[in-house]
Amino acid sequence: MAADPYQTLGVKRDASQADIQKAYRRLAKKLHPDLNPGNKKAEEEFKNVSAAYDLLDDADKRARFDRGEIDASGAERPQQRYYRDFAEGAHSYASDSGFADFAGTDDILSEIFGRGGRSNLRMRGQDAHYRLELDFLDAVNGGKQQLTLPDKSVLDVTIPPGTRDGQVLRLRGKGHPGLGGGPPGDALIEVAVRPHPILTRKGDDIHVELPISLKDAVLGGKVQVPTPSGSVAMTIPKWANTGRVLRLKGKGVPRPDGTRGDELVTLKVMLPEMPDPELEKFVAQWQPARAGASRRATGV
Amino acid sequence: MEAREFILQSRLDAEVVEAWVEAGWLLPRQEGATRDFSEVDLVRAQLIQDLGRLGANDEAIPVILDLIDQVHGLRRTLRDLLSAIHAQPEAMRRWIVADLRTTGLNRPNDDSAPAPPSDESREH
Repeated sequence: MAADPYQTLGVKRDASQADIQKAYRRLAKKLHPDLNPGNKKAEEEFKNVSAAYDLLDDADKRARFDRGEIDASGAERPQQRYYRDFAEGAHSYASDSGFADFAGTDDILSEIFGRGGRSNLRMRGQDAHYRLELDFLDAVNGGKQQLTLPDKSVLDVTIPPGTRDGQVLRLRGKGHPGLGGGPPGDALIEVAVRPHPILTRKGDDIHVELPISLKDAVLGGKVQVPTPSGSVAMTIPKWANTGRVLRLKGKGVPRPDGTRGDELVTLKVMLPEMPDPELEKFVAQWQPARAGASRRATGV
Repeated sequence: MEAREFILQSRLDAEVVEAWVEAGWLLPRQEGATRDFSEVDLVRAQLIQDLGRLGANDEAIPVILDLIDQVHGLRRTLRDLLSAIHAQPEAMRRWIVADLRTTGLNRPNDDSAPAPPSDESREH
Protein backbone atom coordinates (compact mmCIF):
# COMPACT_ATOMS: atom_id res chain seq x y z
CA MET A 1 0.00 0.00 0.00
CA ALA A 2 1.36 3.36 -0.97
CA ALA A 3 -1.72 5.55 -1.21
CA ASP A 4 -1.90 8.69 0.89
CA PRO A 5 -3.76 7.76 4.10
CA TYR A 6 -5.46 11.17 4.20
CA GLN A 7 -6.80 10.56 0.72
CA THR A 8 -7.86 7.03 1.59
CA LEU A 9 -9.94 8.31 4.48
CA GLY A 10 -11.07 11.36 2.52
CA VAL A 11 -9.91 13.91 5.12
CA LYS A 12 -7.75 17.03 4.91
CA ARG A 13 -4.19 16.95 6.19
CA ASP A 14 -5.14 19.19 9.07
CA ALA A 15 -8.19 17.16 10.08
CA SER A 16 -8.71 16.70 13.81
CA GLN A 17 -8.37 13.25 15.42
CA ALA A 18 -12.14 13.28 15.92
CA ASP A 19 -12.72 13.92 12.22
CA ILE A 20 -10.33 11.15 11.28
CA GLN A 21 -12.15 8.74 13.55
CA LYS A 22 -15.49 9.83 12.13
CA ALA A 23 -14.25 9.34 8.59
CA TYR A 24 -12.88 5.91 9.42
CA ARG A 25 -16.09 4.78 11.07
CA ARG A 26 -18.21 5.97 8.19
CA LEU A 27 -16.12 4.03 5.68
CA ALA A 28 -15.53 0.95 7.83
CA LYS A 29 -19.24 0.48 8.48
CA LYS A 30 -19.79 0.12 4.75
CA LEU A 31 -16.67 -1.88 4.02
CA HIS A 32 -16.07 -4.22 6.93
CA PRO A 33 -16.17 -7.73 5.42
CA ASP A 34 -17.98 -9.16 8.41
CA LEU A 35 -20.66 -6.51 8.33
CA ASN A 36 -21.03 -6.94 4.56
CA PRO A 37 -20.52 -10.68 4.12
CA GLY A 38 -21.91 -10.68 0.59
CA ASN A 39 -19.57 -8.01 -0.72
CA LYS A 40 -16.28 -9.60 -1.73
CA LYS A 41 -14.88 -6.43 -3.20
CA ALA A 42 -15.12 -4.44 0.02
CA GLU A 43 -12.31 -6.44 1.58
CA GLU A 44 -9.42 -4.71 -0.19
CA GLU A 45 -10.88 -1.26 0.41
CA PHE A 46 -11.43 -2.04 4.07
CA LYS A 47 -7.82 -3.13 4.36
CA ASN A 48 -6.63 0.19 2.97
CA VAL A 49 -8.98 2.22 5.14
CA SER A 50 -7.91 0.29 8.25
CA ALA A 51 -4.24 0.71 7.46
CA ALA A 52 -4.74 4.43 6.90
CA TYR A 53 -6.58 4.73 10.19
CA ASP A 54 -3.97 2.68 12.05
CA LEU A 55 -1.44 5.26 10.95
CA LEU A 56 -3.41 8.44 11.47
CA ASP A 57 -5.19 7.40 14.67
CA ASP A 58 -1.85 7.24 16.46
CA ALA A 59 -0.85 10.89 17.02
CA ASP A 60 2.82 9.98 17.23
CA LYS A 61 2.83 7.91 14.03
CA ARG A 62 0.78 10.57 12.28
CA ALA A 63 3.33 13.25 13.20
CA ARG A 64 6.19 11.10 11.95
CA PHE A 65 4.31 10.43 8.71
CA ASP A 66 3.63 14.15 8.28
CA ARG A 67 7.35 14.88 8.73
CA GLY A 68 8.13 12.23 6.13
CA GLU A 69 9.97 9.96 8.57
CA ILE A 70 7.78 6.97 7.79
CA ASP A 71 5.66 6.09 4.81
CA ALA A 72 2.25 4.49 4.70
CA SER A 73 3.58 1.02 3.94
CA GLY A 74 4.43 0.22 7.55
CA ALA A 75 0.85 0.23 8.64
CA GLU A 76 -0.52 -2.73 6.76
CA ARG A 77 -2.50 -5.19 8.74
CA PRO A 78 -1.17 -8.71 8.79
CA GLN A 79 -4.69 -10.11 8.94
CA GLN A 80 -6.04 -11.49 5.68
CA ARG A 81 -8.85 -13.55 7.05
CA TYR A 82 -12.18 -12.48 8.42
CA TYR A 83 -14.79 -14.02 10.60
CA ARG A 84 -17.03 -14.51 7.59
CA ASP A 85 -14.47 -16.90 6.10
CA PHE A 86 -15.22 -19.29 8.94
CA ALA A 87 -18.64 -18.27 10.04
CA GLU A 88 -20.63 -20.47 7.69
CA GLY A 89 -18.90 -23.60 8.86
CA ALA A 90 -19.87 -25.77 11.76
CA HIS A 91 -18.48 -24.22 14.92
CA SER A 92 -19.53 -23.15 18.37
CA TYR A 93 -20.87 -19.77 17.20
CA ALA A 94 -23.14 -21.15 14.48
CA SER A 95 -26.67 -19.92 15.06
CA ASP A 96 -29.94 -20.98 13.52
CA SER A 97 -32.04 -18.66 15.65
CA GLY A 98 -32.52 -16.45 12.60
CA PHE A 99 -35.00 -19.02 11.34
CA ALA A 100 -35.85 -21.03 14.43
CA ASP A 101 -39.49 -20.25 13.76
CA PHE A 102 -39.31 -22.10 10.42
CA ALA A 103 -38.43 -25.34 12.13
CA GLY A 104 -41.87 -25.74 13.64
CA THR A 105 -43.63 -25.84 10.31
CA ASP A 106 -45.26 -29.13 9.59
CA ASP A 107 -43.29 -29.81 6.49
CA ILE A 108 -40.53 -32.05 5.26
CA LEU A 109 -38.55 -28.93 4.39
CA SER A 110 -38.33 -27.91 8.03
CA GLU A 111 -35.45 -30.38 8.30
CA ILE A 112 -33.26 -27.92 6.44
CA PHE A 113 -33.71 -25.38 9.18
CA GLY A 114 -32.92 -27.50 12.16
CA ARG A 115 -29.24 -28.29 11.93
CA GLY A 116 -26.29 -27.26 14.01
CA GLY A 117 -26.70 -24.35 16.32
CA ARG A 118 -25.80 -23.56 19.87
CA SER A 119 -26.81 -26.01 22.49
CA ASN A 120 -28.49 -23.36 24.60
CA LEU A 121 -31.10 -22.77 21.94
CA ARG A 122 -34.47 -24.38 21.78
CA MET A 123 -33.97 -26.87 19.02
CA ARG A 124 -35.98 -29.51 17.29
CA GLY A 125 -34.47 -32.97 17.80
CA GLN A 126 -32.65 -34.75 15.05
CA ASP A 127 -34.48 -37.15 12.79
CA ALA A 128 -33.68 -40.78 13.35
CA HIS A 129 -33.17 -43.03 10.34
CA TYR A 130 -34.19 -46.67 10.33
CA ARG A 131 -34.65 -49.45 7.83
CA LEU A 132 -37.50 -51.90 7.79
CA GLU A 133 -37.67 -55.04 5.66
CA LEU A 134 -41.16 -56.07 4.63
CA ASP A 135 -42.61 -59.06 2.90
CA PHE A 136 -44.03 -58.27 -0.51
CA LEU A 137 -47.64 -58.79 0.52
CA ASP A 138 -47.26 -56.81 3.78
CA ALA A 139 -46.00 -53.86 1.74
CA VAL A 140 -48.75 -54.11 -0.89
CA ASN A 141 -51.62 -54.70 1.53
CA GLY A 142 -50.32 -52.49 4.35
CA GLY A 143 -50.84 -53.15 8.03
CA LYS A 144 -49.07 -52.80 11.34
CA GLN A 145 -45.43 -53.72 11.83
CA GLN A 146 -43.12 -53.48 14.77
CA LEU A 147 -39.62 -52.10 14.46
CA THR A 148 -37.13 -52.95 17.18
CA LEU A 149 -34.75 -50.06 17.69
CA PRO A 150 -31.05 -50.36 18.59
CA ASP A 151 -31.92 -49.52 22.21
CA LYS A 152 -34.35 -52.49 22.26
CA SER A 153 -37.43 -50.31 22.39
CA VAL A 154 -40.17 -51.13 19.91
CA LEU A 155 -41.77 -48.75 17.48
CA ASP A 156 -45.23 -49.48 16.05
CA VAL A 157 -45.20 -48.64 12.38
CA THR A 158 -48.34 -48.40 10.30
CA ILE A 159 -47.57 -49.49 6.77
CA PRO A 160 -49.92 -47.75 4.34
CA PRO A 161 -51.32 -50.05 1.62
CA GLY A 162 -49.30 -49.83 -1.58
CA THR A 163 -45.98 -49.06 0.11
CA ARG A 164 -43.11 -49.28 -2.34
CA ASP A 165 -39.58 -50.52 -2.05
CA GLY A 166 -37.35 -47.60 -1.03
CA GLN A 167 -40.23 -45.51 0.27
CA VAL A 168 -39.53 -43.54 3.43
CA LEU A 169 -42.19 -43.50 6.13
CA ARG A 170 -42.18 -40.59 8.55
CA LEU A 171 -43.28 -41.07 12.13
CA ARG A 172 -43.70 -37.62 13.52
CA GLY A 173 -42.06 -36.99 16.86
CA LYS A 174 -40.52 -40.47 17.07
CA GLY A 175 -36.95 -39.29 16.41
CA HIS A 176 -34.34 -37.96 18.78
CA PRO A 177 -35.52 -35.69 21.61
CA GLY A 178 -35.35 -31.93 21.16
CA LEU A 179 -32.93 -29.62 22.95
CA GLY A 180 -33.97 -26.98 25.42
CA GLY A 181 -37.63 -27.97 25.27
CA GLY A 182 -37.68 -28.18 21.49
CA PRO A 183 -39.92 -30.75 19.80
CA PRO A 184 -38.49 -34.19 19.06
CA GLY A 185 -37.36 -35.08 15.55
CA ASP A 186 -39.10 -37.59 13.34
CA ALA A 187 -38.33 -41.23 12.72
CA LEU A 188 -37.64 -41.79 9.03
CA ILE A 189 -38.06 -45.42 8.09
CA GLU A 190 -36.82 -46.61 4.76
CA VAL A 191 -38.77 -49.59 3.57
CA ALA A 192 -37.09 -52.47 1.79
CA VAL A 193 -39.54 -54.89 0.19
CA ARG A 194 -38.51 -58.53 -0.13
CA PRO A 195 -39.45 -60.05 -3.50
CA HIS A 196 -42.41 -62.43 -3.80
CA PRO A 197 -41.78 -65.86 -5.34
CA ILE A 198 -44.33 -65.36 -8.11
CA LEU A 199 -45.86 -61.89 -7.92
CA THR A 200 -43.96 -58.86 -9.16
CA ARG A 201 -44.96 -55.22 -9.06
CA LYS A 202 -44.76 -52.63 -11.81
CA GLY A 203 -46.17 -49.30 -10.71
CA ASP A 204 -49.61 -50.07 -9.32
CA ASP A 205 -50.02 -53.27 -11.33
CA ILE A 206 -49.15 -56.77 -10.26
CA HIS A 207 -47.67 -59.12 -12.80
CA VAL A 208 -47.81 -62.87 -12.57
CA GLU A 209 -46.94 -65.70 -14.93
CA LEU A 210 -49.59 -68.40 -14.72
CA PRO A 211 -48.90 -71.94 -15.90
CA ILE A 212 -51.97 -73.52 -17.53
CA SER A 213 -52.56 -77.02 -18.81
CA LEU A 214 -52.67 -77.85 -22.47
CA LYS A 215 -56.31 -78.77 -22.04
CA ASP A 216 -57.25 -75.40 -20.54
CA ALA A 217 -55.26 -73.67 -23.23
CA VAL A 218 -57.10 -75.43 -26.02
CA LEU A 219 -60.59 -75.69 -24.58
CA GLY A 220 -60.64 -72.85 -22.07
CA GLY A 221 -61.55 -73.25 -18.40
CA LYS A 222 -61.59 -71.83 -14.90
CA VAL A 223 -58.37 -71.55 -12.89
CA GLN A 224 -57.34 -70.08 -9.55
CA VAL A 225 -54.96 -67.11 -9.75
CA PRO A 226 -52.99 -65.78 -6.78
CA THR A 227 -53.43 -62.04 -6.16
CA PRO A 228 -52.24 -59.85 -3.28
CA SER A 229 -55.69 -60.11 -1.72
CA GLY A 230 -55.97 -63.89 -2.04
CA SER A 231 -56.59 -66.23 -4.92
CA VAL A 232 -59.43 -65.55 -7.33
CA ALA A 233 -61.09 -67.59 -10.04
CA MET A 234 -60.34 -66.59 -13.60
CA THR A 235 -61.83 -67.84 -16.85
CA ILE A 236 -59.38 -68.78 -19.53
CA PRO A 237 -60.79 -68.38 -23.03
CA LYS A 238 -60.45 -71.03 -25.68
CA TRP A 239 -57.21 -71.06 -27.60
CA ALA A 240 -55.27 -69.13 -25.04
CA ASN A 241 -51.63 -69.34 -26.03
CA THR A 242 -48.43 -68.82 -24.04
CA GLY A 243 -47.71 -65.12 -23.68
CA ARG A 244 -51.34 -64.06 -23.75
CA VAL A 245 -52.02 -61.46 -21.05
CA LEU A 246 -55.30 -61.38 -19.17
CA ARG A 247 -56.20 -58.43 -17.01
CA LEU A 248 -57.85 -58.79 -13.61
CA LYS A 249 -59.29 -55.33 -13.02
CA GLY A 250 -58.78 -53.90 -9.57
CA LYS A 251 -56.73 -56.81 -8.28
CA GLY A 252 -53.45 -54.90 -8.19
CA VAL A 253 -51.86 -52.54 -5.69
CA PRO A 254 -54.13 -50.33 -3.55
CA ARG A 255 -53.76 -46.63 -4.27
CA PRO A 256 -54.12 -43.81 -1.73
CA ASP A 257 -57.43 -42.76 -3.34
CA GLY A 258 -58.99 -46.14 -2.60
CA THR A 259 -58.79 -47.52 -6.12
CA ARG A 260 -56.46 -50.34 -7.04
CA GLY A 261 -54.19 -51.18 -9.93
CA ASP A 262 -54.78 -54.30 -12.01
CA GLU A 263 -53.23 -57.71 -12.01
CA LEU A 264 -51.84 -58.78 -15.35
CA VAL A 265 -51.75 -62.53 -15.81
CA THR A 266 -49.38 -63.85 -18.46
CA LEU A 267 -50.37 -67.33 -19.52
CA LYS A 268 -47.80 -70.06 -19.98
CA VAL A 269 -48.95 -73.33 -21.49
CA MET A 270 -47.33 -76.31 -19.77
CA LEU A 271 -47.21 -79.90 -20.93
CA PRO A 272 -47.82 -82.49 -18.22
CA GLU A 273 -44.68 -83.04 -16.17
CA MET A 274 -44.49 -86.77 -16.78
CA PRO A 275 -44.65 -88.13 -20.34
CA ASP A 276 -48.24 -89.10 -21.09
CA PRO A 277 -48.58 -91.99 -23.57
CA GLU A 278 -52.22 -91.09 -24.23
CA LEU A 279 -51.30 -87.57 -25.24
CA GLU A 280 -48.45 -88.79 -27.40
CA LYS A 281 -50.77 -91.20 -29.16
CA PHE A 282 -53.34 -88.50 -29.69
CA VAL A 283 -50.89 -85.96 -31.05
CA ALA A 284 -49.35 -88.59 -33.34
CA GLN A 285 -52.77 -89.08 -34.94
CA TRP A 286 -53.45 -85.37 -35.16
CA GLN A 287 -52.84 -83.83 -38.57
CA PRO A 288 -52.48 -80.02 -38.38
CA ALA A 289 -54.44 -78.30 -41.14
CA ARG A 290 -51.41 -76.32 -42.22
CA ALA A 291 -48.15 -77.86 -41.16
CA GLY A 292 -45.57 -75.43 -39.85
CA ALA A 293 -48.07 -72.60 -39.50
CA SER A 294 -47.07 -71.87 -35.93
CA ARG A 295 -43.41 -71.81 -36.84
CA ARG A 296 -44.04 -69.35 -39.65
CA ALA A 297 -46.08 -67.15 -37.36
CA THR A 298 -43.08 -66.60 -35.11
CA GLY A 299 -40.83 -65.98 -38.10
CA VAL A 300 -38.44 -68.81 -37.29
CA MET B 1 -4.03 -23.29 20.26
CA GLU B 2 -3.36 -22.57 23.90
CA ALA B 3 -4.34 -19.34 25.61
CA ARG B 4 -0.76 -18.02 25.52
CA GLU B 5 -0.53 -18.52 21.77
CA PHE B 6 -3.96 -16.96 21.30
CA ILE B 7 -3.03 -13.85 23.28
CA LEU B 8 0.12 -13.49 21.20
CA GLN B 9 -1.64 -13.88 17.87
CA SER B 10 -4.66 -11.74 18.71
CA ARG B 11 -2.47 -9.02 20.29
CA LEU B 12 -4.92 -8.78 23.14
CA ASP B 13 -4.24 -8.54 26.86
CA ALA B 14 -4.82 -11.67 28.90
CA GLU B 15 -7.45 -9.84 30.99
CA VAL B 16 -9.34 -8.78 27.87
CA VAL B 17 -9.41 -12.35 26.56
CA GLU B 18 -10.58 -13.53 29.97
CA ALA B 19 -13.35 -10.94 30.04
CA TRP B 20 -14.53 -11.84 26.53
CA VAL B 21 -14.63 -15.53 27.37
CA GLU B 22 -16.50 -14.74 30.59
CA ALA B 23 -19.02 -12.69 28.62
CA GLY B 24 -19.47 -15.53 26.15
CA TRP B 25 -18.21 -13.48 23.21
CA LEU B 26 -15.52 -16.08 22.70
CA LEU B 27 -16.27 -19.76 23.15
CA PRO B 28 -12.98 -21.65 23.20
CA ARG B 29 -13.12 -25.35 23.84
CA GLN B 30 -12.67 -25.98 27.53
CA GLU B 31 -10.62 -29.04 28.38
CA GLY B 32 -10.39 -29.22 32.15
CA ALA B 33 -8.50 -26.15 33.27
CA THR B 34 -6.99 -25.36 29.86
CA ARG B 35 -8.68 -23.59 26.97
CA ASP B 36 -8.23 -24.58 23.39
CA PHE B 37 -8.65 -21.67 20.98
CA SER B 38 -9.15 -22.16 17.27
CA GLU B 39 -8.77 -20.08 14.15
CA VAL B 40 -12.42 -19.04 14.28
CA ASP B 41 -11.91 -17.64 17.80
CA LEU B 42 -8.99 -15.64 16.47
CA VAL B 43 -10.89 -13.99 13.62
CA ARG B 44 -13.85 -13.43 15.92
CA ALA B 45 -11.57 -11.62 18.37
CA GLN B 46 -10.41 -9.44 15.48
CA LEU B 47 -14.03 -8.72 14.62
CA ILE B 48 -14.75 -7.70 18.23
CA GLN B 49 -11.76 -5.35 18.13
CA ASP B 50 -12.98 -3.87 14.85
CA LEU B 51 -16.47 -3.36 16.31
CA GLY B 52 -14.92 -1.47 19.19
CA ARG B 53 -13.06 0.74 16.77
CA LEU B 54 -16.31 1.37 14.97
CA GLY B 55 -17.72 2.75 18.18
CA ALA B 56 -19.74 -0.22 19.42
CA ASN B 57 -19.73 -0.38 23.19
CA ASP B 58 -19.83 -3.40 25.47
CA GLU B 59 -23.61 -3.43 25.41
CA ALA B 60 -23.84 -3.31 21.62
CA ILE B 61 -21.11 -5.82 20.80
CA PRO B 62 -22.97 -9.00 21.91
CA VAL B 63 -26.07 -7.81 20.04
CA ILE B 64 -24.06 -7.28 16.87
CA LEU B 65 -22.24 -10.59 17.24
CA ASP B 66 -25.52 -12.42 17.64
CA LEU B 67 -26.99 -10.77 14.56
CA ILE B 68 -23.86 -11.52 12.53
CA ASP B 69 -24.07 -15.17 13.60
CA GLN B 70 -27.72 -15.25 12.57
CA VAL B 71 -26.88 -13.76 9.19
CA HIS B 72 -24.19 -16.37 8.66
CA GLY B 73 -26.57 -19.14 9.68
CA LEU B 74 -29.11 -17.84 7.17
CA ARG B 75 -26.46 -17.46 4.48
CA ARG B 76 -25.26 -21.00 5.00
CA THR B 77 -28.77 -22.41 4.82
CA LEU B 78 -29.58 -20.30 1.78
CA ARG B 79 -26.37 -21.46 0.12
CA ASP B 80 -27.20 -25.11 0.83
CA LEU B 81 -30.73 -24.58 -0.44
CA LEU B 82 -29.48 -22.95 -3.63
CA SER B 83 -27.02 -25.71 -4.33
CA ALA B 84 -29.74 -28.29 -3.71
CA ILE B 85 -31.98 -26.46 -6.18
CA HIS B 86 -29.08 -26.15 -8.59
CA ALA B 87 -28.70 -29.93 -8.55
CA GLN B 88 -32.30 -30.37 -9.74
CA PRO B 89 -33.26 -30.90 -13.38
CA GLU B 90 -33.81 -27.66 -15.28
CA ALA B 91 -37.59 -28.05 -15.44
CA MET B 92 -37.71 -28.31 -11.65
CA ARG B 93 -35.49 -25.24 -11.25
CA ARG B 94 -37.74 -23.22 -13.53
CA TRP B 95 -40.74 -24.38 -11.59
CA ILE B 96 -39.23 -23.29 -8.29
CA VAL B 97 -38.25 -19.88 -9.68
CA ALA B 98 -41.73 -19.38 -11.11
CA ASP B 99 -43.22 -20.33 -7.76
CA LEU B 100 -40.95 -17.90 -5.91
CA ARG B 101 -42.02 -15.09 -8.25
CA THR B 102 -45.68 -15.80 -7.60
CA THR B 103 -45.08 -15.88 -3.83
CA GLY B 104 -43.30 -12.54 -4.09
CA LEU B 105 -46.20 -11.02 -6.03
CA ASN B 106 -48.78 -12.23 -3.55
CA ARG B 107 -46.94 -10.85 -0.55
CA PRO B 108 -48.60 -7.76 0.94
CA ASN B 109 -46.99 -4.64 -0.40
CA ASP B 110 -44.70 -2.87 2.07
CA ASP B 111 -44.12 0.16 -0.12
CA SER B 112 -46.42 2.28 2.00
CA ALA B 113 -44.18 1.83 5.04
CA PRO B 114 -41.76 4.71 5.60
CA ALA B 115 -38.27 3.94 4.35
CA PRO B 116 -35.55 3.94 6.99
CA PRO B 117 -33.29 6.98 6.80
CA SER B 118 -30.28 6.34 4.61
CA ASP B 119 -26.76 6.27 5.96
CA GLU B 120 -25.95 9.66 4.48
CA SER B 121 -28.96 11.47 5.84
CA ARG B 122 -28.10 10.37 9.35
CA GLU B 123 -24.50 11.51 9.08
CA HIS B 124 -25.39 15.12 8.34
